[in-house]
Amino acid sequence: MSEILQYIPGNSPLHCLNPVTKLLLVILIVGLCVMSSQVPFLCFLIGVLVTGALFSGLIKEIIDQVPFLILLSFFLVILTSLTVQEGDLLLTILPCSEYGVQGYGITLGGLLFGVILSLRFVVMITAFQLFVVTTKPSDLVTGLLTFRLPVDYVLMLLIALRFIPSLQLEARRIHEAQLCRGYNPGTGISGKIKSMRPIMIPLVANSLAKTQVLGLTLDMRGYRARKTLPLHKLIFGFGDVISAMLILVIFSAFAYIHFFIV
Amino acid sequence: MILASALSYTYPVGIRPALRDITLSVGKGELILVTGPTAAGKTTLCYALSGILQHEFGGTCSGYLALNGRPVNDYTGICELNQLVSMVFDDADSQLIFTSVEEELASGLETRIDSKQEIEDRVSEVMELCGITHLRERPPYTLSGGQKQRVAIAAALAMDNEIIILDEPTSELDVVATTRIIKILQDLKTRGKTIIIVDHSLEGYRNVADRVIIMEEGHISREGTFDEIFPGQQGSVKALYTDPDLKPYTHKDRPVVVSIDSLIKRYGTIEALSGVSLKLYEGEFIAILGENGSGKTTLVKHLNGLLRPDGGSVHVRALDAATAPVIDLVRQTGLVFQNPDTMLFADSVRDEIMFGLENIGSDSPERVISDVLTMVGLSGSESTYPRHLSRGERQRLAVACILAMKPGLIILDEPTTGLDGKESDKMMELMLTLQKRGHTIIMVTHNMRIAEEYADRIIAMENGRVTGDYHNMRGRAS
Repeated sequence: MSEILQYIPGNSPLHCLNPVTKLLLVILIVGLCVMSSQVPFLCFLIGVLVTGALFSGLIKEIIDQVPFLILLSFFLVILTSLTVQEGDLLLTILPCSEYGVQGYGITLGGLLFGVILSLRFVVMITAFQLFVVTTKPSDLVTGLLTFRLPVDYVLMLLIALRFIPSLQLEARRIHEAQLCRGYNPGTGISGKIKSMRPIMIPLVANSLAKTQVLGLTLDMRGYRARKTLPLHKLIFGFGDVISAMLILVIFSAFAYIHFFIV
Repeated sequence: MILASALSYTYPVGIRPALRDITLSVGKGELILVTGPTAAGKTTLCYALSGILQHEFGGTCSGYLALNGRPVNDYTGICELNQLVSMVFDDADSQLIFTSVEEELASGLETRIDSKQEIEDRVSEVMELCGITHLRERPPYTLSGGQKQRVAIAAALAMDNEIIILDEPTSELDVVATTRIIKILQDLKTRGKTIIIVDHSLEGYRNVADRVIIMEEGHISREGTFDEIFPGQQGSVKALYTDPDLKPYTHKDRPVVVSIDSLIKRYGTIEALSGVSLKLYEGEFIAILGENGSGKTTLVKHLNGLLRPDGGSVHVRALDAATAPVIDLVRQTGLVFQNPDTMLFADSVRDEIMFGLENIGSDSPERVISDVLTMVGLSGSESTYPRHLSRGERQRLAVACILAMKPGLIILDEPTTGLDGKESDKMMELMLTLQKRGHTIIMVTHNMRIAEEYADRIIAMENGRVTGDYHNMRGRAS
């Protein structure tokens, strides 16, 4: 079974970074990719992430995401090309009757916007994925608590991540149980939607039943009482110095591309 | 350590009180066994004694409860009580939150111990104690039911609290693992820990439990020492191989229903079944016994095409289970899963059974529905919402759903998990009736008692191999 967004144990440079440093890097990368609309800078960010994944032996995880990212990008480009009408018309779909006025069609601006949006999503998804798969959930909690996020919200994120593999397993188990009763996943869109019912209802009902015990367990282990941070967690190492330098490099690239080239 | 006086409790949505007039005093270093039928209020009692009811659930609570000499309402909340009480909930799966067993155990300690070394030492010690050292790096959701339970127990023990409350912690454990857990609890008791344990399999607690409490309809109906309450033996704890009632199996002169030849199944690099060969005959009541992870469930999933062999062959009557479509196999083989909640989705008991009938196309569904409901003792509840039934009733409804499809072979995966003795026996009586009507019954279980009492053939499995095939002289079916 492929596991989505689950921690992968390891000793790579990314694993060894302090969770706070990693979180800062993610915030920086995501923040800058939203602010920037320069394709070269976005490509540079992707380069940084791929290099990070290469160094940590996690390139397979990134490659596995490529089909999904391509699909996402494809839809984004189609959507923006059809809705954003800016710049030169590349392909006319509906010509305008008035002479000299551009008709409706695919424009350079729309296409470019689609590409930028796709690149932003690639950066955000990859950065978040690298962060989650290299950070133990307990470190994740510590990292987020450092940023003074309310403990309840942090635990909500933790539980959401924890539920992904459980839901996958449970869905498979339910699917098997229904197969035993001659369950036949329907054909066509309406058939598919109808055949969701025997799977989705037990899945949702069983998951809701689990949440109570899950919450109580966290309470009994003293997690909600954790408003303060254990001090031993905040030790920064050599990797964190390197990261600080990386932050500088990314900022310089951002400034250079935005203020000197453009 | 624990003092309850006239404690009563009603859930926020409840009408009748879930606990009535509980008066109980438990001293330091005592081990109390709580038992009773399902829905007797045992779990609610656990919640009450750990302070969860009073601080988290709301509802109406009356009477007095003190933990460690201090009224439970004086504690600021669970965040303070977790320093005193550890609790193991009955659903092992939902109490495992983190990504490795090691992190799971450490999580409760990180909030109270500062030294990393100290945490590591403590985690290693508890893993050693519970026999889960080999699972250290494994993500909890990949473990078997029994392994999950052991990790959940270990996570609670790691906290080293004064009061330990366990709600059916051994329901999915085999004899060896249960004995080990009871031994650990006995050690903790001698170290002065106060332990409350809810369980259905009782015999292992003889000479271990200081007192037994029997609960019925929310109140304590009997209380006394183990020998006072259960003078006779309560089920078996002995190993299968020394049982004088078992004779080596000799095949019968009946048609073969299932024929398995050198079956091999691999999950990745792990070989779950390594060369299983078996012949099952019509009208037999077979129990497949084995420890957690011995390959029992993997084996039976091959009989209706949920799993396909990696080597060897499986034939169910004339069908080749390696290639036949699942829809054809399920007409021959009905598999009832361990947890009925994995299949129940409809709005009424009737619709639930109808689902299977529609899938295979039945001529007279209404008659079939009323027949199977009478058989499982649920007639009259056609319009009830399935999830409102009790656990035992839901389990019987799951059997009815499969039964309606009229398979010749009925497989039950751990049919008695979560059921009390009475409900288990009811389930087994139903299986005996079905056997008399000509069905072949296969029951996958780790519950030695029901296997010995009901099955006429016992197959033992270990590490993906069949290690014994016996004729059970004592079984009621033989």
